[in-house]
Order: sequence, then structure tokens, then C-alpha cells
Amino acid sequence: MIKIKIKCFSQVKYALGKKELVLELESGTTTQEVERLIRKKANRNLDIVSLSVAVNKKYISKSLVLNDGDEVAFIPPVQGG
Amino acid sequence: MVKVEIINGPIDFFPLNDNRDQDGAEIVFNGRVRAAEYDKIITALEYEQYEDMAESELKKVAEKTVKKFVIHDLFCKHRIGKVKVGQSSLHVVIRSKHRKEGFIAMNYFISALKDRVPIWKWAILEDGTKIPSDCTSS
Repeated sequence: MIKIKIKCFSQVKYALGKKELVLELESGTTTQEVERLIRKKANRNLDIVSLSVAVNKKYISKSLVLNDGDEVAFIPPVQGG
Repeated sequence: MVKVEIINGPIDFFPLNDNRDQDGAEIVFNGRVRAAEYDKIITALEYEQYEDMAESELKKVAEKTVKKFVIHDLFCKHRIGKVKVGQSSLHVVIRSKHRKEGFIAMNYFISALKDRVPIWKWAILEDGTKIPSDCTSS
């Protein structure tokens, strides 16, 4: 098992009602699998929201296997400026 | 030179520099909070960041802009936290030999910032309700 932290922002935070989640997952779990889980927890409220993924505060372009202690963020469209 | 800063509180603007003998252009952009977001009247925006990652991505975007265009300086301050209508949330200064590359670089930088830097807006409505802003214009 691994334990990871999910950071929630903007629409993800609004949909889940939480700033942060800690999940215990099977070893070998990928970011793509966690994204599915997060979308499911959001009860369809994220269905039309595109999400980029950051692991340990860096964008990733392909799904990867998570490690114990990783911090993951599913990043909705950003809105700086 | 690149300087970027994410700050929680009013922006202390970069001072204009009248002693730059190699730069014919000094372009300043201030992004201000409008009174309406998607037809809703608001009193303020609250900017949320992904701490550390936002500043790191902002720096990457600024460095890429300085490499891509013939400009000398790019300084940027972005606010987080509550920013009232009319106040500046973004302040950018670009110095370049000629105005043309400065304006193009400014446009590129702000578009890239809006595409990459993990900062979000929450709209504060007149009744105090706070909702994620729908505005993702580039």
C-alpha cells in the first residue's frame, strides 16, 4: 500500500468540498486511476472540467505510477492575471 | 534579468528607470479586477495559488519569454488573496531595445502565464458568496 496526498484547487476544491485528501492505495496505482477516482467522488461535477496533472508540484504529460508520499494535484484550467 | 514574485497584499510597483541607456522601450502592464465576471457583479476576486509551484512556473514562463524574444528585463508581481475591484492583481514591466519586441513579448508572457501558472480566481459576489470564477480567457 501507498499513501498519497491530493491537493484540491478551484473547481476541484468546490466539487469535493475539501482542500486536501489523503488516500491509501494499492502499490502500482497510476495518476490516471486516481483521476478517475476523484472524478467519481465529485459526483459528475467535474465531468466537463479538463484537468492537468502535477506530481510533487511539477506538471506531468503522461500517466505515471505513484510512489508512497507523493503529492498529486488535478489542476483545472488556470486563471492567473 | 528576470524577477518574479507572488505576493499577498497590495502591489508595490516596480520603479520606472530613467537611467537605461540601452533600452528604448519600457512597457508596463497592470491587470486590474473588473466589476463583473461573466455578467455577475462582484466586489472582489480572491486569487488562490498552488504554493511554490505557482512561483516556480511563473519563473519558468518569464525565463522562456526572455530567451524567446530580444528583451532585457522582465519583472512580474502577481497577487494572491483578496483583490478588490479596481485594484491591480498583476504587474509586469518589460524593457527592450525597441517597442515592437517588447509588446510582442508582453502579450506572449501574459498568455503563457494564463496557460501554465497554477493560480485561480474565486469571485466574491455582492452577497458575500464565493464561487470559482468561470473566466478562463486568454
